[in-house]
Amino acid sequence: MDTSSPAIFVNGESLQMYVGKKVRSVVQVIKSDGGDMIGKSTDEHQWTIKGLSSAPLMSYVEVIGVAESNQSICAELWTDFGKTFDAYSYNQLCQLANGEFKALFL
Amino acid sequence: MAKMNLTEGAIAKITSGGAKAAELKPTLQVTELKQVHTKQPQQSDRFRLVLSDGSHLQQAMLGTQINHLVKDGNLRPCSVVQLIQYTCTTVQGRMIIIILELIVIVEECALIGHLVSAQKSLGPPQSFTNQPVNNSSNPQSFGSCSLSGGAVENPNLTVASLPNPRMNQLHSSSHSSNNDSVRHGATNVPPSHLKAEYGAGLPGAAPMNGSYSDQCAIFRNHRPEISQAPGTYFYSSRSVYQQPSPMYPNTGQVAKNDAPPKLMPISALNPYQGRWTIKARVTAKGELRHYNNPRGDGKVFSFDLLDSDGGEIKVTCFNAVADQFYHQIEGGKVYLISRGNLKPAQKNFNHLRNDLEVFLESTSIVQPCFEDDNVIPRQQFNFRSISEVEGMDNNNVVDIIGMVSSITPAASIMRKNGTETQKRILQLKDMSGRSVEFALWGSFCNAEGQRLQNMCDSGGFPFLAVKSGRVSDFNGKAVGTISTSQLFIDPDFPEARRLKEWFEKEGRNVPSLSISREMSSVGRADVPKTISQIKDERLGTSEKPDWVTVNATVIFIKADNFCYTACPLMSGDRPCNKKVTNNGDGKWSCEKCDQSMDECDYRYILQFQIQDHTSITWVTAFQESGEEIMGISAKDLNSLKYEKQDNESFSKIVRQVLFSKFVFKLKVKEETFSDEQRVKSTVVRAGKVNYSSQSKFLLDMMEKFKSGNSAPVASNTESTYPNSGANSIGIESSGRPCGPLGSNQVGNNGYIARKFGSLPSEVGQHGNQYSTKFPTSSLSLTAVVLLAIPQQIALVS
Repeated sequence: MDTSSPAIFVNGESLQMYVGKKVRSVVQVIKSDGGDMIGKSTDEHQWTIKGLSSAPLMSYVEVIGVAESNQSICAELWTDFGKTFDAYSYNQLCQLANGEFKALFL
Repeated sequence: MAKMNLTEGAIAKITSGGAKAAELKPTLQVTELKQVHTKQPQQSDRFRLVLSDGSHLQQAMLGTQINHLVKDGNLRPCSVVQLIQYTCTTVQGRMIIIILELIVIVEECALIGHLVSAQKSLGPPQSFTNQPVNNSSNPQSFGSCSLSGGAVENPNLTVASLPNPRMNQLHSSSHSSNNDSVRHGATNVPPSHLKAEYGAGLPGAAPMNGSYSDQCAIFRNHRPEISQAPGTYFYSSRSVYQQPSPMYPNTGQVAKNDAPPKLMPISALNPYQGRWTIKARVTAKGELRHYNNPRGDGKVFSFDLLDSDGGEIKVTCFNAVADQFYHQIEGGKVYLISRGNLKPAQKNFNHLRNDLEVFLESTSIVQPCFEDDNVIPRQQFNFRSISEVEGMDNNNVVDIIGMVSSITPAASIMRKNGTETQKRILQLKDMSGRSVEFALWGSFCNAEGQRLQNMCDSGGFPFLAVKSGRVSDFNGKAVGTISTSQLFIDPDFPEARRLKEWFEKEGRNVPSLSISREMSSVGRADVPKTISQIKDERLGTSEKPDWVTVNATVIFIKADNFCYTACPLMSGDRPCNKKVTNNGDGKWSCEKCDQSMDECDYRYILQFQIQDHTSITWVTAFQESGEEIMGISAKDLNSLKYEKQDNESFSKIVRQVLFSKFVFKLKVKEETFSDEQRVKSTVVRAGKVNYSSQSKFLLDMMEKFKSGNSAPVASNTESTYPNSGANSIGIESSGRPCGPLGSNQVGNNGYIARKFGSLPSEVGQHGNQYSTKFPTSSLSLTAVVLLAIPQQIALVS
């Protein structure tokens, strides 16, 4: 597997730190908008995910792609995680991964 | 109610033959209505009634075509009706009106007029249907607005004992005094009933019963104008407990009420009492339970009653009767119960202080009592102090009250029969200077338990009153809840208030002596431990086995001898399960049962290694947990390997299990093998990991760890997960491909894993640095935690 460009765990507040970089996050699908999708991050931020059209509503998907702005991601890969997901724990993970334990991930 | 006018003199007219149905359609009041039991079951019910025209009474029978009026409840005692079609005939020397058609004008009405039986020529007393006089005869009378005016004519002719001279005069005067005489002039004439009708609902009825009759009677009886048949009126009082019969509340359905309910205190009930009625409040309503015993299936429902004298008794009904009464009975309400059977109490189900129990049948009567006068307390306790509990025998049922000084969170406990239940333990302190461990089981954990926990957590000191807790001698003396227990938090009883005062003044600071020994972790298997802790803490080495929970991954399974041939015969209520040996002739023989059989069971005896981030160990899993882990029965697996020789499928199954994670509940015990002591762990239960809760647990731990980080390193390592295992092992294990994940995810996680793979080397190189800067435990811990979280979250269910 290609490990050359690691994707960083982000949530709403940390996305802005990685604009232009490859990120991954889990969002809940709120609305499908043509070729794009509106999703809610694990800390209630609303994002636009480009390139993702067919995700089932209200389910959680993990999106890996390049962060375009602090509110949108251009998706390259996405995976459906289903309807049940522990958003709280994931959020904690993002916070830890970008804060205290950054060294472990990057 | 509007005053209804009855057709005066109608009765006389009808009975004298002066009027016929065609001409006279009188308006009459039904003073009594009762069902006559016919000998032949094929015949439909007949209803006999007594009609009144305001001054005279007359017996009547209802034509079967209008039975439905009674059954639907339209026609009731005290209804006012207009006769449309009827005839008058003589039956057995008596005039009876047969009613073929009538209109119910008013379903319920106060009794009108002063009544006298129109029939002077009385035959034997039995003719009066309201007389439950002599037990000898009568089908039960409804006797409701038991006017009994005329009825009382021959109360007890048979009981000739006491011509109570006062009687007559009393009758003509106030009825209340009647009651008095009735009661006190008591002759003990066993068989007869109290002519309670008289007393019914009379105001100012004698002190003892006054309250009862007042309350229960809505209808006031008009004073019957007694024909002065000399010396014929007497009441035989049976015993001191005779009470005037309360008038049945108007709302009564046409129930088979036996006229005179002699209200008596529960404490006076005895099996030799013929007819009795108690008025009591339901202090505890049980569930409608289904049971299955060697005699068959059934349903049972029971409830506890408390009366105003403080007497308590348990009432039980089975099957159809249970259905009948289950919905009628409401906790906290007052009922009149009569015609139940009294039997000795079964002490193992009944914890009330009464040697008797009531069993209701379909003929029993349960009547709600609407005038709830709060004379009857809601609940009655017999509190014992905790120091008394110390001296009590095991399995005693007591009521206790105390201050909750501590409470544990709910833990899952495995019961002897294999089921799981919740348990909380709290410490109760009271004025005796003692404290006891009190266990909440099952649903009490969630409801009251949670409430108490919240109160304790927020710094409060809740008081708890317990009714029917059972004393056990587990770890000294302890008390626990049973299915019939009731808990009251911060109750408002005098004892509670006293306790509170004591607590405010001194109790808060006085240390109390516990009569329960401190619980070791026996049974508290829920605290997750790491595998290294098993070794470090020398679990299992004490005389009792230790139960621990670990989250670990299956690393290696010993594929040979994963099962054994077991004896399928039942020994007692469990299969024998001892190893059987092959006879050589296709049969298997069991040593213990001393029998041989053709077919044997195959049971798992799976030995495998499990590993977590700290250490690795061998464990053994038997049948149930083996199946849980392997996902296939031992028999099938065995046939797959040996009979079908299908090694490929076998390996595939085994491979699938490898590296899967479980929550293992282990029983750890040190055993002696030849000369050496070895600590063996047995898997009692293997469950799937709940990633969400585990994540939260780990996050919590990280929090705690972080907050404790400022303290010296050494102390940190003492917190829940002290690390003694090598880091490399911990992290290596995380580098596995995650079997159960979907294909997409495998890629991602594999990626992360490999990322981590580089870490051990880093750690290795900078090992020294790290060990000085950070406690290595924290690094490996957080590494694993952070690795675990994304994977876990992905698999969250």
